[in-house]
Amino acid sequence: MTVTQNRITVTVKSFATLREVMDARVQVDLPSGATIRSLLAELTGRYQGLGELLFAAPDTHRDFVNILKNGRNVEFLGRLDTPLEEGDLIALFPPLAGG
Amino acid sequence: MDGYAGKMAYADLSAGTVTIKPTPPELKKLYIGGRGFGIRLLTDMVDPKIEPLGEKNVIVYAAGPLTGTGIPLGSRYEVSTISPLTGAAMSANSGGVFGWKMKKAGFDAIVITGKSKKPVYLMLDNGKAELRNAAHLWGKTTGQTTDAIEEELKDKSVRVSCIGPAGEKLVLFACIINERARAAGRGGVGAVMGSKNLKAVVARGDLPIKAADEAQLALVKERVKKKIEENGIDKALHNFGTAVLVNIINENYVLPTRNFQTAHFPDAENVSGETMAKTILKKPKGCYACIVQCGRVCEFDDEKGEGPEYEPIWAFGPDCGINDLKMVARANNICNEYGLDAISAPATIACLMEMAEKGYVKHPIRFGDAKGMLKLVEQIAKREEIGDELAEGSFRFATKYGHPELSMSSKKQELPAYDPRGIQGYGLATATSVRGGDHVYGYMISPEILGAPEKLDPFVTTGKAQWVKTFQDLTAAIDASGMCLFTSFALGAEDYADLLSATTGMKITAAELLTVGERIWNLQKLYNIRRGFGRKDDTLPARLLTEQLKEGAPTGQVWRREEMLDEYYTLRGWDKEGTPTKEKQKELGLA
Repeated sequence: MTVTQNRITVTVKSFATLREVMDARVQVDLPSGATIRSLLAELTGRYQGLGELLFAAPDTHRDFVNILKNGRNVEFLGRLDTPLEEGDLIALFPPLAGG
Repeated sequence: MDGYAGKMAYADLSAGTVTIKPTPPELKKLYIGGRGFGIRLLTDMVDPKIEPLGEKNVIVYAAGPLTGTGIPLGSRYEVSTISPLTGAAMSANSGGVFGWKMKKAGFDAIVITGKSKKPVYLMLDNGKAELRNAAHLWGKTTGQTTDAIEEELKDKSVRVSCIGPAGEKLVLFACIINERARAAGRGGVGAVMGSKNLKAVVARGDLPIKAADEAQLALVKERVKKKIEENGIDKALHNFGTAVLVNIINENYVLPTRNFQTAHFPDAENVSGETMAKTILKKPKGCYACIVQCGRVCEFDDEKGEGPEYEPIWAFGPDCGINDLKMVARANNICNEYGLDAISAPATIACLMEMAEKGYVKHPIRFGDAKGMLKLVEQIAKREEIGDELAEGSFRFATKYGHPELSMSSKKQELPAYDPRGIQGYGLATATSVRGGDHVYGYMISPEILGAPEKLDPFVTTGKAQWVKTFQDLTAAIDASGMCLFTSFALGAEDYADLLSATTGMKITAAELLTVGERIWNLQKLYNIRRGFGRKDDTLPARLLTEQLKEGAPTGQVWRREEMLDEYYTLRGWDKEGTPTKEKQKELGLA
């Protein structure tokens, strides 16, 4: 990816029931300085129904929703304020379990 | 009524007799049922010096008081015995309908001792129990056995829990299968059945199972049903089955690949629950009273079967370097038909694949060879050619060829589908598991990867010992109750305590429930110490402690045993060797 005019491109992968409302893999162009919060704002604007699946209230994602940045849960980075960089891979998971 | 069927059957296979006795009140009070009954009876009856495949081993089938009461996901039964794979006292859990039917037939538990001279099956029938000839069933697969018994009894309402050829051949990780595809999977419980010439346990009946307080139970049932339905986790289980885990574990870079050489499989999507739902899935299927229905009925080409679940998908897929879901499903079906543990069988094949690639064993199999893998599964089940050596499990096999470090096992039982290097608490849970390599005796994946009941950093060791202890004790109590472990994603200890109180009439608090779990755990531990287990065994393969992960977020991680083990022992009230102190034993009524 090339960085143009202070913008970055990240790749987002969705899984399980999220695929009912959004693409399984999508590239998103964002302003430099974007965070997980601004990425989700972009995605929920683009995909109808996604916000309901991810958020219980504004700024609070649902229990058991997991968001990974390059394989690391953003809970242990900066949560919704986790900064994004060019080429980041974001994985979005709805509540799920197994074993 | 108190949720219990009220009776236990004692089948002495050497004498050819079955005796029926009331279920002891003290056993109910201190051990609840299921795994609690199994471990208490087993450890009371079996001399720790015995050989697991000898005549003196004992098998206990036990349901819980919540099994078959109509409570959502209240379907489970446990099979407890001394494992021929690990040498430890253990239990294996199964769902389906059999546990409910065993209680409808009038029995909370059955205790099987001795060895029959000829193949037999045990018939439980509306309060009666007898041994019947099974010579005509010997050699049959689990499906053929079930068909034959239904046919000879002219009754499709009977439920059959049986072994296949693998159990008869004493494969050390042979399992027991009920309703053709539900498995008491781990530890070689099927081999112990085979060693006793016991082909099956068959249940038929329509006796009532009533709670002590039906009105109160109805209220608690409604509450737990609502919690399960509102918990988003169970929707994903319904839609995609347990295989929904493939992608999330892979995206966390903790999906063991090629015998744990790496922890990320680039083709994971091909064998994921999402792909299964779009391709080979015919319909979801549930156990008795299940409102989740995580089971899978799959059909493709000329193949029809149930599963595969997440663990076999991982083991036949990424762990063997295979990305073909149909071949994985075929291999899983063979395991169900022959009665093989679908974790240990493929994990042992993955061990062979690495050893063959490295030239330690002369064999043509390589990672990614799906046809070769299918052939090996059958060879193991029949103990043919190299399958005879693999039937002893990966640890004995790898040791025989001079490389025990390539067996990805703990206490000689193959590890499940998560790399402990990137999930520290899970590593502690599986290393200290009293039944060996395991994920369902304390499922730390839930907080460390899935974020339930809260998100714990998987790379951190601080505080994990307490979580592991609590999960292990709670799981032991859930396994005693008869509930499916998947309820624990939505329910807490107080919910189980309320269900048990309403059902049994014994007033049980959440704290008392955890004490029952702790009692079961310590009893199992104490017995295993008498069989020679100690601190040295509470560990994982050297690869996981020394070889750093090289990809993704957990790059550089190894499993850090020493940061957690002493704290875990201290929290448990055990000494430095992992032996429960006299004070702890007295506190739990075990001294």
